[in-house]
Amino acid sequence: MSTPRKSPSKKKSAAKKTAPRASVSPRRWRRLFWQFSAVMLVVGLLALAWLDALVRQRFENHQWQLPARVYSRPVELYSGRELNEQNLQQLLELLRYRQDGTAREPGSYGRFSGGVLLHTRGFRDSDGGESARLLRIRIDSHRIGVLTDGAGKAVPVARLEPLQIGSIHPGHSEDRVLVRLEEVPPLLVHMLMAVEDRSFHEHHGISIRGLTRAVFANLRAGEVEQGGSTLTQQLVKNFWLTRERSLSRKLVELPMALLLELHYSKAQILETYLNEVYLGQDGGRAIHGMGLAAQFYFGQPLAELKPHQLALLVGLLKGPSYYDPRRHTERSLQRRNVVLQAAAGQGLLDDKALSHYRNTLLDVVPRGSSALYAFPHFIDLVRRQLGRDYPPQVLSSEGLIINSTLDVLAQLVAEQKLSNFLKTHEKLNGAVIITAPDQGDVLALVGDKLARRAGFNRALDAQRPIGSLAKPAVVLAALQQPKKFHLGSVTTDGSFEVRMEDGQVWQPKNFDNQALGPMPITEALAQSRNQAIARLGLDVGLGEVIRTFQKLGVQSRIPPYPSIFLGSLNLSPFETAVMYQTIATGGQRTPLRAITDVLDRNGQPLGRYPVRPEQAFDAQTGFLLQWAMRQTMTRGTGRYAVNQLPESLIVAGKTGTSDGLRDAWFAGFSGSHLALVWLGRDDNGDTGFTGSSGPLRIWTSIMAELPQRPLRLAPPQGVEMVWLDADGLRRSGKGCDGAREYPLLTSSIPSEASTCGKVQSVPGGIKKWFKGFFD
Amino acid sequence: MVQRVFRLIVLFVLVTALAACSGRMAMEQTAPTGMPKSDPLNGSAAESLWQMAVTAQENNQLAAAGRYLERALYMEPDSSWLYRELAELRLREGDAQSAEMMAQRSLRLAPPQPAYQSALWQLIATARLRQGDSDGAARAQAEVAKLKRR
Repeated sequence: MSTPRKSPSKKKSAAKKTAPRASVSPRRWRRLFWQFSAVMLVVGLLALAWLDALVRQRFENHQWQLPARVYSRPVELYSGRELNEQNLQQLLELLRYRQDGTAREPGSYGRFSGGVLLHTRGFRDSDGGESARLLRIRIDSHRIGVLTDGAGKAVPVARLEPLQIGSIHPGHSEDRVLVRLEEVPPLLVHMLMAVEDRSFHEHHGISIRGLTRAVFANLRAGEVEQGGSTLTQQLVKNFWLTRERSLSRKLVELPMALLLELHYSKAQILETYLNEVYLGQDGGRAIHGMGLAAQFYFGQPLAELKPHQLALLVGLLKGPSYYDPRRHTERSLQRRNVVLQAAAGQGLLDDKALSHYRNTLLDVVPRGSSALYAFPHFIDLVRRQLGRDYPPQVLSSEGLIINSTLDVLAQLVAEQKLSNFLKTHEKLNGAVIITAPDQGDVLALVGDKLARRAGFNRALDAQRPIGSLAKPAVVLAALQQPKKFHLGSVTTDGSFEVRMEDGQVWQPKNFDNQALGPMPITEALAQSRNQAIARLGLDVGLGEVIRTFQKLGVQSRIPPYPSIFLGSLNLSPFETAVMYQTIATGGQRTPLRAITDVLDRNGQPLGRYPVRPEQAFDAQTGFLLQWAMRQTMTRGTGRYAVNQLPESLIVAGKTGTSDGLRDAWFAGFSGSHLALVWLGRDDNGDTGFTGSSGPLRIWTSIMAELPQRPLRLAPPQGVEMVWLDADGLRRSGKGCDGAREYPLLTSSIPSEASTCGKVQSVPGGIKKWFKGFFD
Repeated sequence: MVQRVFRLIVLFVLVTALAACSGRMAMEQTAPTGMPKSDPLNGSAAESLWQMAVTAQENNQLAAAGRYLERALYMEPDSSWLYRELAELRLREGDAQSAEMMAQRSLRLAPPQPAYQSALWQLIATARLRQGDSDGAARAQAEVAKLKRR
């Protein structure tokens, strides 16, 4: 059935095979050509439309990847502020102020007899910030004596701009400081065009003339002095394409450059270029844009750079790594001078200026000297506190401005005193935390004796037994039972044993292996007697002591064993500082903050971290504990400090040493500063120091350098100074045998009085007399 | 009975004398704004920040006002007046807990002027009430009443 149909089909196929050869005609070629051209046109148009969409979408919706920037506390300037000339000089150096006599520009200063004339830089803050201004500061006996403006008019208060101390970019490695075109020095733009694209304002994205001229110029110079790509093309490469050099990329680059020019103004393109261009690498951080490059290489804002510095930045465009001024100084210098020469060729510099700047050094700041990397452990704290409120994406890209609590001068003092002390103790390390108790501000935080070394942050992460630093909590727990205990109550310093639930026996021992017998609580704390405080802890109750630790702000798990009375409780230096912070405020638990507020990239307030204290215990009990801790300083284990510090500076504190001298602590405070020092070894070995012989020395030297205010001596209402007998059970008189004066809550004053001396009247005398009217 | 009458006479004499003195003392100790003259803020650099805080509050810029006051407190940490101002600001911002704490600090530093202290206790009473602590508010009100009797 199928055979008859087969043969014609064979014929047909044979005819088909021969047909093309027979039908190749110019007409068909033309048709094919037009068809192909039409398809190519459609494809081309579609590709162009796609590129156009890509260019517009990316350019218009582009969000600069701006990491959050962290700033220190701005330094307040006002008449009477404690600030010596050395401190001021230190600040000006950190902020990279230039000395130029007349302080004409922001970021410069000059000296006059007895003072400094400085031109501050402006900044934004949640209270509006400060404008750049000229200030005349006269320093008298380590204080600002007179503060006036440039015209000599008194200025009540002004601020130095905050120092940028870090940037937070957890999600990516790009960093930049955005600059607006109007803030960019015009000379930079002119130099850029002179070297990279002379016909920028004439071309439409690509420049045949520019390319030709560059080729000739480079041939004449014998090196690549000018680039062939326009700035627009370079931006396209940076912004949309990879760094790969290929024909296909070039084919995409050209139409994109044209499209970019079609849609956007020269100013927009230039501003984007200046912020986008890659200018170096700092470890894992890519340096993008002229703004950040100015900070990275010169430690100054872009607007303050001199012509030779601007020329260096322009020269770097050709190869940031090849011309790295820190690694290849000579090469970089030559390249900079090529740019200066090109600028002079365009009339941007006269011969004298050219000669001057050609002979000027690079002026690049050493790597790592920037404050951006100076305080890694404090930045670690900021990052952790920010992480609670802001997701990583926001921190890495929104350009948030983080105003921190860091007091640069206090931080430098803490670092220096710790490293000085440990200079000869190779295996020892330590941590220091300084806070302002009233505000809960962390003013300084050092987590390593090599303060610039990022890594293990001992201040936050070392979990170590706090030793006798726990004792004030035991005393506080007792004072919160005013009917049973007061500061004159007697406890016993003697050997005893406690059998635990698991059958183990706890037998506290004193450091000197002695037992001093009955003694007042105050004395037990001042002399840091283990057996006496342990006995008191048992009398007060383990549960009460644990609750007191928690009230003080300890959040870590507290093991329910009596050994916590003597500090077998592992806490970080930071958490211990939180605990002492509550004591230093006299009863208000104030969370330690490293941030005061967060602003968006335009300086508008976003988030605030106001002081938010909570009442942990009443002010009266707070005063009693502080008073007891003052005795530690005047006649106990902290005596060294009182002998060194000015007599007028009233301080309180406590030493701490863990078993086997593995950890040595001191925590103490004045009216204005709380400082905590910890010394230990990373291998948990013997430090060779007690709290008194090590940390107390460091603490004292730190406190001596800070502007101080003494603790308040006056007891609050509800507390009276009362003389008590040695056993603390009866009121007594001054000078009576064994009698001592203590501050007592009115409710704790014994009703019984001894027969010795002139016994104080108890409230109830005159009060009872008056009360008679109303009863 | 005779003793009680005698006590009343003594008390009357004392109260009259004190009233005469206290009127004079109040005039001497209190600045026109209500700030105690003994307050360290008087005439200090912090005063200009306090004034900026007042202006900021008038313009409803509460965050800025808070910053001014915190800065001023760094300069004059013993100023009862500044703490009082901060307490009032926190109350206005709706943060009654902080308001109470700041008022407590203000009270701790307050000069012995019943009218001034009574205003602080009133502030504490309001802050406690807003936190739902009616017992605490009543205790604070009792202090107000006690001070007003003086």
